[in-house]
Amino acid sequence: MHDIDQALLPKHLANPLLQAEQLSYSYGNGQQALDRIELSIAAGDRLALVGQNGAGKTTLARLLIGLLRPRSGRVLYAGVELAGDQLRRARLEIGLLFQDPDDQLFCNSLYEDVAFGLFNRGLAPELVADRVRRALTTVGLEHLAGKPPHHLSTGQKKRAALATQLAMEPLVLILDEPTANLDPHQEQLLLEQLQRFSGTLIAISHDLPFLCELCDRAVVLEEGRIHHDYSLRELVSHPPSMRRHGLDFTFRFSCCGGHPEAPRQVPPTAAAAVQAEGAEAAPSQPLTGTVPLFQLRDLHYTYPDGTRALRGIDLTIEAGDSIALVGENGAGKSTLLACLGGIRLGRGDCRFHGNRIERKHGGELWRHLGVVFQDSADQLFCASCREEVAFGPEQMGLSKSEVARRVEQALCQVRLGGYEERVPLYLSGGERKRLALASVLGMEPEVLILDEPTAGLDPRSQELLLAILQRLPTTKILVSHDMFFIGAVTSRTLVMHQGKIIKNYLTSQFLSDKALSSLNQIHYTYKNRCCTEILGLDQGAYFQHAPDR
Amino acid sequence: MTEPAVVVLPLWLPGLILLLAAGGLVAVGLCRRWAGAAAEETAEEERDWSIPELVVETAPGNLFQRWDTRIKLATLLGYAFLVVSLHRPGPAAAAVLISAVAVLLARIPSTGVLKRAAGISGFLLMLALIMPLTVRRHPGDPIVVIAGLEFLTFNPRGLTLALTIGCKALAVALLMEPMLATSALGNTLEALARLGVPVKLTQMVLLSHRYLHVFAAESQRMQTAMRARGFKQRTDRRTLQTVANFLGMLFVRSFDRTQRVQDAMLARGFTGRFPVHHRFAAAPGDWLLAVAWLSVGVILLLFDRFGL
Repeated sequence: MHDIDQALLPKHLANPLLQAEQLSYSYGNGQQALDRIELSIAAGDRLALVGQNGAGKTTLARLLIGLLRPRSGRVLYAGVELAGDQLRRARLEIGLLFQDPDDQLFCNSLYEDVAFGLFNRGLAPELVADRVRRALTTVGLEHLAGKPPHHLSTGQKKRAALATQLAMEPLVLILDEPTANLDPHQEQLLLEQLQRFSGTLIAISHDLPFLCELCDRAVVLEEGRIHHDYSLRELVSHPPSMRRHGLDFTFRFSCCGGHPEAPRQVPPTAAAAVQAEGAEAAPSQPLTGTVPLFQLRDLHYTYPDGTRALRGIDLTIEAGDSIALVGENGAGKSTLLACLGGIRLGRGDCRFHGNRIERKHGGELWRHLGVVFQDSADQLFCASCREEVAFGPEQMGLSKSEVARRVEQALCQVRLGGYEERVPLYLSGGERKRLALASVLGMEPEVLILDEPTAGLDPRSQELLLAILQRLPTTKILVSHDMFFIGAVTSRTLVMHQGKIIKNYLTSQFLSDKALSSLNQIHYTYKNRCCTEILGLDQGAYFQHAPDR
Repeated sequence: MTEPAVVVLPLWLPGLILLLAAGGLVAVGLCRRWAGAAAEETAEEERDWSIPELVVETAPGNLFQRWDTRIKLATLLGYAFLVVSLHRPGPAAAAVLISAVAVLLARIPSTGVLKRAAGISGFLLMLALIMPLTVRRHPGDPIVVIAGLEFLTFNPRGLTLALTIGCKALAVALLMEPMLATSALGNTLEALARLGVPVKLTQMVLLSHRYLHVFAAESQRMQTAMRARGFKQRTDRRTLQTVANFLGMLFVRSFDRTQRVQDAMLARGFTGRFPVHHRFAAAPGDWLLAVAWLSVGVILLLFDRFGL
């Protein structure tokens, strides 16, 4: 195995389809994003572009398709520099799947979006119609051709964005975080569609199990430079190298003897202990003489457009519980969180500490709850990290000294000590997520509500976030598609489907349930299968190199 | 100069009118609630989205769906100008009736129409209340006063004027439904471009329509996150600072989004002009319908001017 401090030289191919020569790029503020990149990609290559948040992966992808102009160096497509007609040709033959599908679906119907590039290519309307139909059928959305994109679910949008690319029949397809915010079922659908793609594939992702199913070559970026260019199998079977580049997701195996499908040993909370005695999957029973933290009876919620998000939810949550909500995209998980947080007011009985939540936004409920939103950008709006964390305590009317104490404590808790004067907008994805967490920890909430905390984070940031959450003694309610995170953080799991809780059991039972996929057609164990396959690549490599934990 | 005729009303009569107006407002409120409930009930019935809207227009549909969009827009806009030129309440009321018939012919769901009518009802009610008090008095105009409230003088001509304006506004507002809701937005904007509206403007409307939803959702999520940390709007410097931060962040996000959308367009070969999806072909029937519709407008105008 190679020396991890010794960068492996980039491959030089005889007839590359796409080539970067001494490619450098700086942002407007002078920050160097890429430095003298040398990269050759042959036709048919399936390449994983990996690295930590901020390593320059997305910038490189944009340069390869000619959306950014290099500061120095050049990009060649089919041996010709990207400029003029060749640039136009490259844009029509190279597809780029954006991280946020809303960026890519800008027309007023799915049909128009998929047809957009084809018309730009100058194809006849009849041919366009045929290609649009085929592309939509490939991604299973032909029945939604006339629907406006803002009416699609996240998973549907992602597949629709893929259809806009597949319809162009690209020779090269670049994917930027294709699995972000997808449930396991949608992720598997996407994977199957991408596996059928026969052209050159460049995938940017932190999701190594997904990449292993799709790619055979790995290019590792670190601080704007290519540090390794070798096979993906070599990368994943060499934990020290992954750890060095912040890609080590093997912390996910550490809890269960290296077997991701084995039930995890999670310390049971008081409520969970009661449940465990009372056999399987019973809803949380109130401890004798205590009022439950949350008590929901026959809760319904219907959005103004008529979408029925919750249908008769009955739920009891005790203080100290750690609960996971799982289900397909659109199952009603986020709406249930919003109702628990008093952000939305449903029909039915919803109580906190025995008091009915009757007012929208929950009156003074915000003083007891900390909500960490899925997208940190929704939560961060102040000019400095100090202001961001101080915002909540200040709204609580605390003294200046107490606010200062809480700010310092919260930033230290999330390992952002010293970041007080940094601008939240310029932090990396992982740092922003931790800052969002600090902004609610500063309020010392009784309940912490987390919506997809690991989405878009690199493995190192995930590991750090996990360590922080495991140490927090508060009641936690977590919405996630990440089975490992659920196993590591929660003791009880509620499976939601079409606005109802269809299963409520201990997380250990949930993770070992062989019939999971039959619950709501979601393949919860799909990720575990991927991990197992990776482990099988180099049996023992992980354990030989595993650090002391 | 002749003295104006003064009509004195007993105090209970305006009270009764106010009561009726309040009843009308309650009815409007109930209509809105009913419309919302109806929308909730019908939401369960999933619409068939498999047929793109640009194909829907060519499928056999109602009169307005079949009508060539360019001619439909030009005709109905021309007709709307004729309607707003009316001066008398009778022809204006007839215009409302014609618009209502058009809505029925276009098979527009009643919930949307009721919402639109309820939306402008507040303005029209205000006109009806204010204009009798403020309209300039012409020689020979009668004056109405209420016993005990002699300092308030009402001019019935003002009420007539308010009714005429109200009817014209309602007629045009109702006409918007068959004019704009019977073709896909892209089709309508393409037709407007063919009629001479600058293409850049139509493209901006098209993109704005798409991204208004996205920006509204982003703004909503940010506001929710602020409320979740206890933010309440007050009249103090702190609120001003927070709102400024919020707006600044929204602007930054919108700007970033705009750049990413432009990148996505360029990545699919965009060269500055949106592809044309709609091919218009006017048939003789389209022109005949236009002539017939405009004739109705002209007849209304003649009736208004000459009382024929």
